[in-house]
Amino acid sequence: MKIAVLQAFVIYGIAFVISMLIALLITGLFRLVRRISGSS
Amino acid sequence: MGLSNFLDLFQGITTLIASNPAVLAARLGLMLLGMVLVYMGKKGILEPLLMIPMGLGMSAVNAGVLFLDPATAAAVTETVQSGGHPVAGTLFMAPLVQKTDNLMYVLQIDFLQPIYTYMFSNGLIACLVFMGIGVLLDVGFVLARPFLSMFLALCAELGTVATFPIAVAMGLNYGEAASIAMVGGADGPMVLFTSLTLAKELFVPITVVAYLYLGLTYGVYPYLIRFLVPAKLRGLPMPERPALRITSDEKLAFAVVGSTVLCLLFPSAAPLFLSLFVGVAVRESGLKYFVAVIDGPILYGATLFLGLTLGVLCEASTILNPKVLVLLLLGIIALLLSGIGGIIGGFLAYYFSGRKINPVVGIAGVSCVPSTAKVAQKEVSNVNPEALILPEALGASISGVITSAILTGIYVTLIPLMK
Repeated sequence: MKIAVLQAFVIYGIAFVISMLIALLITGLFRLVRRISGSS
Repeated sequence: MGLSNFLDLFQGITTLIASNPAVLAARLGLMLLGMVLVYMGKKGILEPLLMIPMGLGMSAVNAGVLFLDPATAAAVTETVQSGGHPVAGTLFMAPLVQKTDNLMYVLQIDFLQPIYTYMFSNGLIACLVFMGIGVLLDVGFVLARPFLSMFLALCAELGTVATFPIAVAMGLNYGEAASIAMVGGADGPMVLFTSLTLAKELFVPITVVAYLYLGLTYGVYPYLIRFLVPAKLRGLPMPERPALRITSDEKLAFAVVGSTVLCLLFPSAAPLFLSLFVGVAVRESGLKYFVAVIDGPILYGATLFLGLTLGVLCEASTILNPKVLVLLLLGIIALLLSGIGGIIGGFLAYYFSGRKINPVVGIAGVSCVPSTAKVAQKEVSNVNPEALILPEALGASISGVITSAILTGIYVTLIPLMK
Protein backbone atom coordinates (compact mmCIF):
# COMPACT_ATOMS: atom_id res chain seq x y z
CA MET A 1 0.00 0.00 0.00
CA LYS A 2 2.76 2.45 0.99
CA ILE A 3 4.64 1.64 -2.20
CA ALA A 4 1.49 2.15 -4.25
CA VAL A 5 0.93 5.58 -2.64
CA LEU A 6 4.52 6.52 -3.41
CA GLN A 7 4.06 5.30 -6.99
CA ALA A 8 0.88 7.37 -7.30
CA PHE A 9 2.83 10.47 -6.22
CA VAL A 10 5.56 9.71 -8.76
CA ILE A 11 2.94 9.21 -11.50
CA TYR A 12 1.22 12.50 -10.59
CA GLY A 13 4.59 14.22 -10.56
CA ILE A 14 5.49 12.94 -14.02
CA ALA A 15 2.03 13.90 -15.34
CA PHE A 16 2.43 17.40 -13.83
CA VAL A 17 5.82 17.97 -15.44
CA ILE A 18 4.68 16.68 -18.86
CA SER A 19 1.45 18.72 -18.74
CA MET A 20 3.28 21.94 -17.88
CA LEU A 21 5.79 21.11 -20.60
CA ILE A 22 2.92 20.85 -23.08
CA ALA A 23 1.54 24.21 -21.87
CA LEU A 24 5.00 25.73 -22.29
CA LEU A 25 5.29 24.16 -25.73
CA ILE A 26 1.94 25.65 -26.72
CA THR A 27 3.03 29.11 -25.58
CA GLY A 28 6.35 28.80 -27.43
CA LEU A 29 4.71 27.49 -30.58
CA PHE A 30 2.21 30.28 -30.46
CA ARG A 31 4.93 32.90 -30.51
CA LEU A 32 6.91 31.07 -33.18
CA VAL A 33 3.95 30.68 -35.55
CA ARG A 34 2.96 34.33 -35.04
CA ARG A 35 6.52 35.45 -35.73
CA ILE A 36 6.79 33.30 -38.88
CA SER A 37 3.43 34.49 -40.20
CA GLY A 38 4.40 38.09 -39.37
CA SER A 39 1.31 38.91 -37.32
CA SER A 40 1.42 40.45 -33.85
CA MET B 1 -42.37 -35.81 -28.65
CA GLY B 2 -41.09 -35.75 -25.06
CA LEU B 3 -40.53 -32.64 -22.97
CA SER B 4 -36.75 -32.85 -23.37
CA ASN B 5 -37.08 -32.90 -27.19
CA PHE B 6 -39.46 -29.98 -27.03
CA LEU B 7 -37.04 -28.00 -24.86
CA ASP B 8 -34.19 -28.83 -27.25
CA LEU B 9 -36.12 -26.79 -29.77
CA PHE B 10 -35.75 -23.73 -27.50
CA GLN B 11 -32.17 -24.08 -26.33
CA GLY B 12 -32.02 -20.61 -24.78
CA ILE B 13 -34.60 -21.76 -22.25
CA THR B 14 -33.08 -25.24 -21.89
CA THR B 15 -29.63 -23.85 -21.08
CA LEU B 16 -31.24 -21.46 -18.61
CA ILE B 17 -32.96 -24.32 -16.79
CA ALA B 18 -29.86 -26.49 -16.92
CA SER B 19 -27.54 -23.81 -15.47
CA ASN B 20 -26.72 -23.45 -11.77
CA PRO B 21 -28.76 -20.88 -9.75
CA ALA B 22 -26.03 -18.20 -9.77
CA VAL B 23 -25.66 -18.33 -13.57
CA LEU B 24 -29.44 -18.43 -13.99
CA ALA B 25 -29.90 -15.32 -11.83
CA ALA B 26 -27.00 -13.54 -13.55
CA ARG B 27 -28.36 -14.31 -17.04
CA LEU B 28 -31.86 -13.12 -16.18
CA GLY B 29 -30.46 -10.05 -14.40
CA LEU B 30 -28.28 -9.11 -17.36
CA MET B 31 -31.16 -9.57 -19.83
CA LEU B 32 -33.17 -7.12 -17.72
CA LEU B 33 -30.24 -4.75 -17.25
CA GLY B 34 -29.75 -4.67 -21.03
CA MET B 35 -33.36 -3.63 -21.48
CA VAL B 36 -33.01 -0.97 -18.76
CA LEU B 37 -29.90 0.42 -20.50
CA VAL B 38 -31.78 0.71 -23.80
CA TYR B 39 -34.61 2.51 -21.99
CA MET B 40 -32.19 4.87 -20.19
CA GLY B 41 -30.39 5.55 -23.46
CA LYS B 42 -33.65 6.36 -25.22
CA LYS B 43 -34.68 8.69 -22.38
CA GLY B 44 -31.28 10.44 -22.55
CA ILE B 45 -30.35 9.52 -18.97
CA LEU B 46 -27.33 7.61 -20.30
CA GLU B 47 -25.44 8.13 -23.59
CA PRO B 48 -27.79 6.65 -26.23
CA LEU B 49 -25.06 6.18 -28.87
CA LEU B 50 -23.45 3.57 -26.63
CA MET B 51 -26.21 2.33 -24.37
CA ILE B 52 -28.73 1.31 -27.02
CA PRO B 53 -26.39 -1.11 -28.89
CA MET B 54 -24.76 -2.15 -25.60
CA GLY B 55 -28.04 -2.90 -23.86
CA LEU B 56 -29.35 -4.82 -26.83
CA GLY B 57 -26.12 -6.83 -27.08
CA MET B 58 -26.21 -7.57 -23.33
CA SER B 59 -29.77 -8.89 -23.48
CA ALA B 60 -29.13 -10.89 -26.65
CA VAL B 61 -25.93 -12.62 -25.51
CA ASN B 62 -27.49 -13.75 -22.22
CA ALA B 63 -30.63 -14.95 -23.96
CA GLY B 64 -29.01 -16.63 -26.96
CA VAL B 65 -27.12 -19.41 -25.16
CA LEU B 66 -27.24 -22.78 -26.89
CA PHE B 67 -25.50 -26.15 -26.77
CA LEU B 68 -22.32 -26.08 -28.85
CA ASP B 69 -21.12 -29.26 -30.53
CA PRO B 70 -17.94 -30.66 -28.87
CA ALA B 71 -15.60 -29.52 -31.70
CA THR B 72 -16.82 -25.91 -31.54
CA ALA B 73 -16.85 -25.93 -27.74
CA ALA B 74 -13.25 -27.18 -27.72
CA ALA B 75 -12.20 -24.36 -30.07
CA VAL B 76 -14.09 -21.66 -28.19
CA THR B 77 -13.00 -22.65 -24.69
CA GLU B 78 -9.59 -23.99 -25.76
CA THR B 79 -10.07 -27.01 -23.50
CA VAL B 80 -10.47 -30.65 -24.39
CA GLN B 81 -14.15 -31.59 -24.05
CA SER B 82 -14.26 -34.98 -22.43
CA GLY B 83 -17.02 -37.42 -23.29
CA GLY B 84 -18.19 -35.48 -26.33
CA HIS B 85 -20.96 -33.76 -24.39
CA PRO B 86 -22.38 -30.52 -25.76
CA VAL B 87 -21.37 -27.39 -23.83
CA ALA B 88 -23.36 -24.18 -23.35
CA GLY B 89 -22.08 -21.22 -25.38
CA THR B 90 -23.12 -18.56 -27.89
CA LEU B 91 -22.56 -17.75 -31.54
CA PHE B 92 -21.53 -14.16 -30.77
CA MET B 93 -17.80 -14.23 -30.02
CA ALA B 94 -15.04 -16.01 -28.11
CA PRO B 95 -12.89 -13.30 -26.50
CA LEU B 96 -10.27 -15.52 -24.89
CA VAL B 97 -9.28 -17.66 -27.88
CA GLN B 98 -5.50 -17.51 -28.30
CA LYS B 99 -4.45 -20.40 -30.54
CA THR B 100 -4.36 -19.50 -34.24
CA ASP B 101 -6.06 -22.68 -35.45
CA ASN B 102 -8.89 -22.24 -32.97
CA LEU B 103 -9.22 -18.57 -33.88
CA MET B 104 -9.50 -19.38 -37.59
CA TYR B 105 -12.21 -21.91 -36.75
CA VAL B 106 -14.14 -19.52 -34.50
CA LEU B 107 -13.85 -16.65 -37.02
CA GLN B 108 -16.02 -18.70 -39.37
CA ILE B 109 -18.64 -19.44 -36.73
CA ASP B 110 -19.13 -16.48 -34.35
CA PHE B 111 -20.64 -13.56 -36.21
CA LEU B 112 -18.99 -10.74 -34.21
CA GLN B 113 -15.60 -12.49 -33.96
CA PRO B 114 -14.08 -10.59 -36.95
CA ILE B 115 -15.02 -7.23 -35.35
CA TYR B 116 -13.64 -8.34 -31.97
CA THR B 117 -10.41 -9.86 -33.30
CA TYR B 118 -9.52 -7.21 -35.87
CA MET B 119 -10.83 -4.07 -34.17
CA PHE B 120 -11.40 -4.60 -30.48
CA SER B 121 -8.76 -6.87 -28.97
CA ASN B 122 -5.94 -4.78 -30.47
CA GLY B 123 -7.36 -1.43 -29.31
CA LEU B 124 -8.12 -0.23 -32.85
CA ILE B 125 -11.71 0.64 -31.96
CA ALA B 126 -10.53 2.90 -29.10
CA CYS B 127 -8.19 4.66 -31.53
CA LEU B 128 -10.98 5.15 -34.10
CA VAL B 129 -13.26 6.68 -31.45
CA PHE B 130 -10.36 8.88 -30.34
CA MET B 131 -9.78 10.00 -33.95
CA GLY B 132 -13.43 11.02 -34.08
CA ILE B 133 -13.06 12.92 -30.81
CA GLY B 134 -10.02 14.70 -32.29
CA VAL B 135 -12.10 15.94 -35.22
CA LEU B 136 -14.70 17.33 -32.81
CA LEU B 137 -12.16 19.15 -30.61
CA ASP B 138 -11.43 22.83 -31.07
CA VAL B 139 -7.99 23.05 -29.48
CA GLY B 140 -8.20 26.85 -29.78
CA PHE B 141 -9.81 26.90 -26.33
CA VAL B 142 -6.68 25.24 -24.91
CA LEU B 143 -4.31 27.47 -26.88
CA ALA B 144 -6.07 30.59 -25.57
CA ARG B 145 -5.10 29.80 -21.93
CA PRO B 146 -2.72 26.83 -21.99
CA PHE B 147 -1.40 26.96 -18.41
CA LEU B 148 -4.81 27.46 -16.78
CA SER B 149 -6.40 24.73 -18.94
CA MET B 150 -3.65 22.18 -18.34
CA PHE B 151 -3.47 22.98 -14.61
CA LEU B 152 -7.21 22.50 -14.10
CA ALA B 153 -7.17 19.30 -16.16
CA LEU B 154 -4.33 17.93 -14.11
CA CYS B 155 -6.14 18.68 -10.82
CA ALA B 156 -9.17 16.91 -12.25
CA GLU B 157 -7.06 13.77 -12.73
CA LEU B 158 -6.95 13.32 -8.94
CA GLY B 159 -9.18 10.24 -9.17
CA THR B 160 -7.05 8.76 -11.96
CA VAL B 161 -4.03 8.80 -9.68
CA ALA B 162 -5.47 8.49 -6.14
CA THR B 163 -7.65 5.47 -7.03
CA PHE B 164 -4.54 3.50 -7.99
CA PRO B 165 -3.22 2.91 -4.41
CA ILE B 166 -6.81 2.44 -3.13
CA ALA B 167 -7.33 -0.30 -5.72
CA VAL B 168 -4.03 -1.94 -4.79
CA ALA B 169 -5.08 -1.85 -1.11
CA MET B 170 -8.34 -3.56 -2.12
CA GLY B 171 -6.44 -6.47 -3.62
CA LEU B 172 -6.16 -5.64 -7.32
CA ASN B 173 -2.82 -6.09 -9.05
CA TYR B 174 -1.04 -3.05 -10.52
CA GLY B 175 -2.41 -3.51 -14.04
CA GLU B 176 -6.00 -3.88 -12.82
CA ALA B 177 -5.59 -0.98 -10.38
CA ALA B 178 -4.25 1.33 -13.10
CA SER B 179 -7.04 0.32 -15.50
CA ILE B 180 -9.88 1.01 -13.05
CA ALA B 181 -8.14 4.21 -11.90
CA MET B 182 -8.35 5.46 -15.51
CA VAL B 183 -12.14 5.71 -15.05
CA GLY B 184 -11.28 8.95 -13.20
CA GLY B 185 -10.20 10.40 -16.53
CA ALA B 186 -13.81 9.97 -17.77
CA ASP B 187 -12.56 8.96 -21.21
CA GLY B 188 -13.97 5.63 -22.39
CA PRO B 189 -11.42 4.93 -25.14
CA MET B 190 -8.56 5.54 -22.70
CA VAL B 191 -10.01 3.06 -20.16
CA LEU B 192 -10.48 0.50 -22.93
CA PHE B 193 -6.92 0.98 -24.20
CA THR B 194 -5.37 0.78 -20.70
CA SER B 195 -7.37 -2.26 -19.62
CA LEU B 196 -6.70 -4.10 -22.91
CA THR B 197 -3.00 -3.44 -22.39
CA LEU B 198 -2.68 -4.02 -18.64
CA ALA B 199 -5.65 -6.11 -17.44
CA LYS B 200 -6.91 -8.22 -20.31
CA GLU B 201 -8.84 -10.61 -18.03
CA LEU B 202 -10.86 -7.76 -16.52
CA PHE B 203 -11.13 -5.41 -19.46
CA VAL B 204 -14.81 -6.18 -20.04
CA PRO B 205 -16.13 -5.24 -16.56
CA ILE B 206 -13.71 -2.31 -16.26
CA THR B 207 -14.78 -0.82 -19.60
CA VAL B 208 -18.47 -1.45 -18.97
CA VAL B 209 -18.16 0.20 -15.52
CA ALA B 210 -16.42 3.17 -17.19
CA TYR B 211 -19.09 3.68 -19.84
CA LEU B 212 -21.92 3.21 -17.36
CA TYR B 213 -20.43 5.70 -14.93
CA LEU B 214 -19.75 8.41 -17.53
CA GLY B 215 -23.42 9.26 -17.08
CA LEU B 216 -22.50 10.28 -13.52
CA THR B 217 -20.91 13.44 -14.85
CA TYR B 218 -24.38 14.59 -15.91
CA GLY B 219 -26.26 13.22 -12.91
CA VAL B 220 -23.97 13.67 -9.90
CA TYR B 221 -21.53 16.46 -10.73
CA PRO B 222 -24.16 19.24 -10.46
CA TYR B 223 -24.79 18.17 -6.83
CA LEU B 224 -21.04 17.98 -6.19
CA ILE B 225 -20.65 21.55 -7.49
CA ARG B 226 -23.51 22.82 -5.32
CA PHE B 227 -22.11 20.99 -2.28
CA LEU B 228 -18.52 22.23 -2.64
CA VAL B 229 -18.89 25.72 -4.14
CA PRO B 230 -20.97 28.38 -2.34
CA ALA B 231 -23.67 30.04 -4.49
CA LYS B 232 -21.90 33.41 -4.23
CA LEU B 233 -18.79 31.98 -5.88
CA ARG B 234 -20.76 29.92 -8.41
CA GLY B 235 -22.16 33.10 -9.91
CA LEU B 236 -18.79 34.83 -10.18
CA PRO B 237 -18.36 36.24 -13.70
CA MET B 238 -15.02 35.49 -15.36
CA PRO B 239 -12.80 38.52 -16.02
CA GLU B 240 -13.26 39.93 -19.52
CA ARG B 241 -10.24 39.38 -21.73
CA PRO B 242 -9.57 40.69 -25.22
CA ALA B 243 -10.65 38.04 -27.73
CA LEU B 244 -7.59 36.09 -28.85
CA ARG B 245 -7.89 34.87 -32.42
CA ILE B 246 -6.27 31.45 -32.78
CA THR B 247 -5.56 30.59 -36.40
CA SER B 248 -5.78 27.14 -37.99
CA ASP B 249 -2.01 27.28 -38.57
CA GLU B 250 -1.41 27.61 -34.84
CA LYS B 251 -3.78 24.77 -34.02
CA LEU B 252 -2.18 22.58 -36.70
CA ALA B 253 1.32 23.37 -35.42
CA PHE B 254 0.20 22.34 -31.93
CA ALA B 255 -1.28 19.07 -33.24
CA VAL B 256 1.89 18.16 -35.14
CA VAL B 257 4.38 19.07 -32.41
CA GLY B 258 2.15 17.79 -29.58
CA SER B 259 1.69 14.43 -31.29
CA THR B 260 5.39 14.04 -32.04
CA VAL B 261 6.53 15.01 -28.52
CA LEU B 262 3.99 12.77 -26.77
CA CYS B 263 4.76 9.80 -29.07
CA LEU B 264 8.44 10.36 -28.34
CA LEU B 265 7.79 10.32 -24.59
CA PHE B 266 5.32 7.42 -24.49
CA PRO B 267 5.67 5.05 -27.47
CA SER B 268 3.34 2.53 -25.73
CA ALA B 269 0.44 4.95 -26.07
CA ALA B 270 1.54 6.35 -29.45
CA PRO B 271 -1.48 4.88 -31.33
CA LEU B 272 -3.81 6.90 -29.06
CA PHE B 273 -1.84 10.14 -29.41
CA LEU B 274 -1.57 9.77 -33.18
CA SER B 275 -5.29 9.03 -33.51
CA LEU B 276 -6.30 12.07 -31.45
CA PHE B 277 -3.97 14.48 -33.21
CA VAL B 278 -4.75 13.12 -36.69
CA GLY B 279 -8.34 14.12 -35.98
CA VAL B 280 -7.23 17.60 -34.86
CA ALA B 281 -4.85 18.00 -37.83
CA VAL B 282 -7.48 16.93 -40.37
CA ARG B 283 -9.95 19.42 -38.90
CA GLU B 284 -7.48 22.30 -38.85
CA SER B 285 -6.13 21.54 -42.34
CA GLY B 286 -9.61 22.02 -43.75
CA LEU B 287 -9.67 18.54 -45.31
CA LYS B 288 -13.44 18.51 -45.41
CA TYR B 289 -13.81 15.10 -47.06
CA PHE B 290 -11.61 13.49 -44.39
CA VAL B 291 -13.53 15.36 -41.70
CA ALA B 292 -16.77 13.98 -43.15
CA VAL B 293 -15.39 10.41 -43.13
CA ILE B 294 -13.92 10.57 -39.61
CA ASP B 295 -16.78 12.56 -38.12
CA GLY B 296 -19.40 10.31 -39.69
CA PRO B 297 -18.74 6.69 -40.66
CA ILE B 298 -15.58 6.17 -38.58
CA LEU B 299 -16.75 7.77 -35.31
CA TYR B 300 -20.32 6.51 -35.43
CA GLY B 301 -19.39 3.12 -36.91
CA ALA B 302 -16.76 2.58 -34.21
CA THR B 303 -19.16 3.76 -31.47
CA LEU B 304 -21.89 1.42 -32.70
CA PHE B 305 -19.61 -1.61 -32.71
CA LEU B 306 -17.96 -0.56 -29.44
CA GLY B 307 -21.36 -0.53 -27.71
CA LEU B 308 -22.52 -3.73 -29.37
CA THR B 309 -19.29 -5.62 -28.66
CA LEU B 310 -19.18 -4.44 -25.03
CA GLY B 311 -22.78 -5.54 -24.55
CA VAL B 312 -22.11 -8.95 -26.08
CA LEU B 313 -19.06 -9.36 -23.84
CA CYS B 314 -21.32 -9.02 -20.77
CA GLU B 315 -22.08 -12.69 -20.35
CA ALA B 316 -23.26 -13.99 -16.99
CA SER B 317 -19.81 -15.40 -16.22
CA THR B 318 -18.39 -11.86 -16.46
CA ILE B 319 -20.40 -10.40 -13.60
CA LEU B 320 -20.03 -13.49 -11.44
CA ASN B 321 -16.36 -12.54 -11.04
CA PRO B 322 -16.07 -11.35 -7.38
CA LYS B 323 -13.81 -8.50 -8.49
CA VAL B 324 -16.74 -6.82 -10.29
CA LEU B 325 -18.17 -5.43 -7.01
CA VAL B 326 -14.79 -3.94 -6.15
CA LEU B 327 -14.61 -2.43 -9.64
CA LEU B 328 -18.07 -0.88 -9.28
CA LEU B 329 -17.00 0.79 -6.03
CA LEU B 330 -13.62 1.93 -7.37
CA GLY B 331 -15.21 3.40 -10.50
CA ILE B 332 -17.43 5.68 -8.42
CA ILE B 333 -14.50 6.63 -6.16
CA ALA B 334 -12.36 7.52 -9.20
CA LEU B 335 -14.99 9.77 -10.79
CA LEU B 336 -15.90 11.46 -7.50
CA LEU B 337 -12.25 12.10 -6.61
CA SER B 338 -11.64 13.57 -10.06
CA GLY B 339 -14.63 15.89 -9.65
CA ILE B 340 -13.39 16.97 -6.20
CA GLY B 341 -9.86 17.41 -7.57
CA GLY B 342 -11.21 19.58 -10.38
CA ILE B 343 -13.03 21.84 -7.93
CA ILE B 344 -9.92 22.06 -5.72
CA GLY B 345 -8.05 23.14 -8.87
CA GLY B 346 -10.80 25.70 -9.52
CA PHE B 347 -10.38 27.11 -6.01
CA LEU B 348 -6.59 27.28 -6.43
CA ALA B 349 -7.07 29.15 -9.72
CA TYR B 350 -9.58 31.44 -7.96
CA TYR B 351 -7.12 32.37 -5.20
CA PHE B 352 -4.03 32.63 -7.44
CA SER B 353 -5.88 34.85 -9.93
CA GLY B 354 -6.79 37.32 -7.21
CA ARG B 355 -10.32 35.90 -6.78
CA LYS B 356 -11.22 36.46 -10.43
CA ILE B 357 -11.60 32.94 -11.86
CA ASN B 358 -14.86 31.14 -11.13
CA PRO B 359 -13.91 27.95 -9.21
CA VAL B 360 -16.68 25.93 -10.92
CA VAL B 361 -14.58 25.94 -14.09
CA GLY B 362 -12.28 23.38 -12.43
CA ILE B 363 -14.73 20.49 -12.67
CA ALA B 364 -14.70 20.83 -16.45
CA GLY B 365 -11.15 19.47 -16.31
CA VAL B 366 -12.69 16.00 -15.93
CA SER B 367 -12.55 15.58 -19.68
CA CYS B 368 -15.73 13.82 -20.88
CA VAL B 369 -15.92 16.48 -23.65
CA PRO B 370 -18.14 18.49 -23.70
CA SER B 371 -20.44 17.15 -20.92
CA THR B 372 -18.53 18.52 -17.92
CA ALA B 373 -18.06 21.94 -19.53
CA LYS B 374 -21.79 22.12 -20.20
CA VAL B 375 -22.60 20.99 -16.64
CA ALA B 376 -20.26 23.66 -15.22
CA GLN B 377 -21.80 26.42 -17.36
CA LYS B 378 -25.33 25.30 -16.49
CA GLU B 379 -24.62 25.41 -12.75
CA VAL B 380 -23.11 28.90 -13.09
CA SER B 381 -26.03 30.12 -15.22
CA ASN B 382 -28.51 28.88 -12.61
CA VAL B 383 -27.02 31.36 -10.13
CA ASN B 384 -25.99 34.15 -12.49
CA PRO B 385 -27.35 33.99 -16.06
CA GLU B 386 -24.88 36.71 -17.12
CA ALA B 387 -21.75 34.75 -16.14
CA LEU B 388 -20.04 32.97 -19.02
CA ILE B 389 -17.39 30.36 -18.20
CA LEU B 390 -17.87 28.08 -21.22
CA PRO B 391 -14.70 29.06 -23.16
CA GLU B 392 -12.43 28.40 -20.15
CA ALA B 393 -14.45 25.29 -19.26
CA LEU B 394 -14.03 23.89 -22.78
CA GLY B 395 -10.29 24.65 -22.61
CA ALA B 396 -10.04 22.67 -19.35
CA SER B 397 -12.22 19.87 -20.73
CA ILE B 398 -10.17 19.47 -23.91
CA SER B 399 -6.96 19.61 -21.87
CA GLY B 400 -8.51 16.82 -19.81
CA VAL B 401 -8.40 14.59 -22.89
CA ILE B 402 -4.71 15.37 -23.30
CA THR B 403 -3.86 14.80 -19.59
CA SER B 404 -5.84 11.53 -19.62
CA ALA B 405 -3.83 10.41 -22.64
CA ILE B 406 -0.63 11.40 -20.83
CA LEU B 407 -1.64 9.35 -17.77
CA THR B 408 -2.53 6.42 -20.03
CA GLY B 409 0.95 6.72 -21.50
CA ILE B 410 2.53 6.80 -18.03
CA TYR B 411 0.52 3.81 -16.79
CA VAL B 412 1.06 1.57 -19.83
CA THR B 413 4.76 2.42 -19.78
CA LEU B 414 5.43 2.21 -16.02
CA ILE B 415 3.20 -0.66 -14.86
CA PRO B 416 4.99 -3.40 -16.85
CA LEU B 417 8.25 -2.12 -15.33
CA MET B 418 6.83 -2.35 -11.79
CA LYS B 419 5.90 -6.02 -12.09
